[in-house]
Amino acid sequence: MPAPFRPCDHCAKPAVVHNTVIVGGKVTEVHLCEEHATAAGIQMPGHAPINALLGQLAQVSVTRARGPACAECGHSFHDFKGSGLLGCPACYGTFEATLGPVIERAQGGALQHVGRAPTRAAGDAQRSALLKKLMRDLEAAVAAEQYERAARLRDAIKDLRPQPAGGEPA
Amino acid sequence: MSADVPEAGSPFRPADDSDVVMSCRVRLARNVVGFPFVGRATHPQRREVLETVRAAAGSDEASVGLVGGRVAAAPPAHLAWLDMPTLPKRDRQILWERHLVSRQFAEGDSPRAVAVTTDERFSLMVNEEDHVRMQVLRPGNAMREAFDVAMRVDDALGSRLDFAFHPRLGYLTACPTNVGCGMRIGAMVHLRAMRVTNELEKVKRAAKELHLAVRGFHGEGTDATGDWFQISNQRTLGVTEQELLELVAGRILPLVVTWERESRARLLAQQRTLLEDRVFRGIALLRAARLLGLDEAMKQLSTVRMGACAGLLSGVSLETLARLTIQVQSAHLRAADPSIETDDDERAVRARVVREALAGTG
Repeated sequence: MPAPFRPCDHCAKPAVVHNTVIVGGKVTEVHLCEEHATAAGIQMPGHAPINALLGQLAQVSVTRARGPACAECGHSFHDFKGSGLLGCPACYGTFEATLGPVIERAQGGALQHVGRAPTRAAGDAQRSALLKKLMRDLEAAVAAEQYERAARLRDAIKDLRPQPAGGEPA
Repeated sequence: MSADVPEAGSPFRPADDSDVVMSCRVRLARNVVGFPFVGRATHPQRREVLETVRAAAGSDEASVGLVGGRVAAAPPAHLAWLDMPTLPKRDRQILWERHLVSRQFAEGDSPRAVAVTTDERFSLMVNEEDHVRMQVLRPGNAMREAFDVAMRVDDALGSRLDFAFHPRLGYLTACPTNVGCGMRIGAMVHLRAMRVTNELEKVKRAAKELHLAVRGFHGEGTDATGDWFQISNQRTLGVTEQELLELVAGRILPLVVTWERESRARLLAQQRTLLEDRVFRGIALLRAARLLGLDEAMKQLSTVRMGACAGLLSGVSLETLARLTIQVQSAHLRAADPSIETDDDERAVRARVVREALAGTG
């Protein structure tokens, strides 16, 4: 017996992708025609493994909210999700909100560079602007009772503050 | 092979801990301010990056800081610049088989070049995933020496180029997994006995605890299924270069070297006949084969190498075996014998190269 006709959530065409997604504990059914499924970033050649299809569906909300492209190079967060690569140094600032947690996860929770700096290093002005930003983040983390994050931010601030004269200990 | 592509040479000379540690490597990723990352850059931009880096790096070892503190009695050695798009495909593959460039870099045709020292202990790729990928290679366990040289090269190049840097995130790289110090530090280890005794899980567990990755012979994306493994850091942010050096040189390598030696000693003490059987069959096969596939050659070279380290094959040098692991690779064979047309031709030449190298040895 043929499956009952089910229209696409966005048009009258028959849906070819049917799925149930759970967002924030709420169960929602998704039905999409081929065209809208493709537009939502779901690959439709028909032979994609089912887990890949589900993964793509899980990303639908992200791909829809592409957000602004980097003003410097035109790269979007969607481009980053596709290749894992950013377009230019300015992308780190453009996508800071979404990229931050990705970096934190990939880098074992680290937030602050503690290694070498280039011989022709970034100026003090940049450093002090960053310090201010980290202080604001710290206040927000404390207010939100994110104590683990607050502790990491406090360390980051400590590392960033000018060291007393005499350089590093041997 | 083009005259410019260096001959296989000094990287195979045995050094400290060579019985287990084949080679070590320190790689730094850097990007030049004022340009998009390579993937986003246009061809004219990539050409400009190439010219900028090339002008800053110069054409001899002194210009990239490789001679550093030591007194250079002889004039600095030549830094060979190889323009990838104009290099024959086979020569590009040779560079990859030699671990001097990545596979992705060898295969691309957009503006890119690599500078290689004649002794193959240093290479600098321009326009790989990042504008600059420089690596210092050393045979054996010379991690600290490789590290010192890499820091010197970074200083030398960093004094002439503005590298993209952020006070919080450190060196900015195309992929966020390299952001921070942009450094990968690691070693290629030969764990033949631990595979036989089924103890590799121990290495993987220890590496995981230290946030280190274990990969195959050709690095990222290759299976750790043979007996050769690359162990290197995963994290690059929130950790200093010195701490990464200690993790690899001070923590994991001493452990792995000790474990593998213990496994070999145990095999020798408890299962000597089994070990001898494998080693002597291996050397006999390599000396007799008329057709030799790459996988089979690598497998037997690995067994024979373990036998040589255990003192079962006194006449077979580690240098010969290290050289063979590279010489049996496809592009190297095709360079050695341009008459190769079919896979069978290649297998025949591989067998001949191995036979000749091992003739009259222990």
